[in-house]
Amino acid sequence: MKFLKYITILSISTLLFSCSQNGKRLPFLGEMQTIDRMEGGKLVIDTFYQTIPNFSFVNQDSVVINNDSLKNSIYIADFFFTSCPSICPIMSKNMLSVYKKYKRNNEVRFLSHTIDPKHDTIPVLKKYANKLGVEGTQWSFLLGNRDTVYNIARHGYMNYAQENADIPGGVEHSGYFILVDKDRRIRGAYDGTDKQQVENLTNDIDILLNEYKSVKK
Amino acid sequence: MRRLLLPFFFCGLVIIIFLNACNEETIKYQSYYSSGSALYKTHCSNCHMDDGEGLEALIPPLTDTTFLKNNREKLACFIVYGLKDTIVINGKTYDGVMPAETHLAPIEIAKLLTYITNTFGNNQGIYELSEVEKNLRKCD
Ligand code: HEC
Repeated sequence: MKFLKYITILSISTLLFSCSQNGKRLPFLGEMQTIDRMEGGKLVIDTFYQTIPNFSFVNQDSVVINNDSLKNSIYIADFFFTSCPSICPIMSKNMLSVYKKYKRNNEVRFLSHTIDPKHDTIPVLKKYANKLGVEGTQWSFLLGNRDTVYNIARHGYMNYAQENADIPGGVEHSGYFILVDKDRRIRGAYDGTDKQQVENLTNDIDILLNEYKSVKK
Repeated sequence: MRRLLLPFFFCGLVIIIFLNACNEETIKYQSYYSSGSALYKTHCSNCHMDDGEGLEALIPPLTDTTFLKNNREKLACFIVYGLKDTIVINGKTYDGVMPAETHLAPIEIAKLLTYITNTFGNNQGIYELSEVEKNLRKCD
């Protein structure tokens, strides 16, 4: 009987092991921290990956979106503004193609933060979303205090958003799409103006969704 | 025989001049078109996209040949002074804002307009510099 139990444990662990070997996993981006601790006289090293800090913004329908609203979803974040003449239309077009692919799958959500809150009020964001053909809250266009948004861009998403009077539109920012998992960890960053990289993003979304399917917690 | 030679020579000359002019026109068109294509990529394609299809209801496509024909005289003004109007393109209404593009010389606008009015399904021939200069005096 004991023998059978060992066999069972062995086969289950082989199964688990082979699962994690076969299923491709995405890397963790950002800073990593390890904390050593003693457990039962043994050294245990815990690894912590950079996570997106707490936030709370409102979207185009005046709905509050915070970390809690996203706890069962992976999401893609970017930074834009509605009157942006440079890279935003292309980014929106590319994001739209990803959105269309996962439309109505609430496990995949989209957060576009405006970096021009003075101009991009809720009605302006609503109109932008409508004209883009976006309905519901799966894709939220977020309004927040300017400094808070810049801060989360820089320190949370390792992104870059900075005003620059030299370029048309007056606000320059990076065109990155950031992929975040259900545990707020950054799993990928893609140039939102580059078709190939946006294709990589959709592949990675599938891989990430799969991680949650195979590793039941 | 000598009496025939002069008219013959004259006719030949006319033909040569004609062919040459014709050739010069196509060369000019081709050079406008290819510089126009590069200018389009730098100044317009981030909004109107490489394929001229625009973006949903936000940015109109450049594929409405009738609109471009009917508004031919205003196109240069649209570029230089921007456009903030309610327009119907391919049956859809657009009420966006196109910012003014103040960095372009009239000759560059002629090349750009030659490009867009002969791409994306349009086929309207060269857009002359003189046309741009004349139309720019009439912007309102
Ligand atoms: C910042 C984005 C943006 C840029 C850059 C831009 N446009 Fe536009 N364009 C628009 C919008 C928005 C409209 C519609 C304006 C309206 O609704 O009144 C428009 C309208 C037009 C129209 C008339 C409508 C149509 O679709 O035929 C033409 C022609 C045009 N643009 C050409 C150009 C050219 C040429 C350039 C490059 C010099 C350019 N645009 C650059 C956004 C842009």
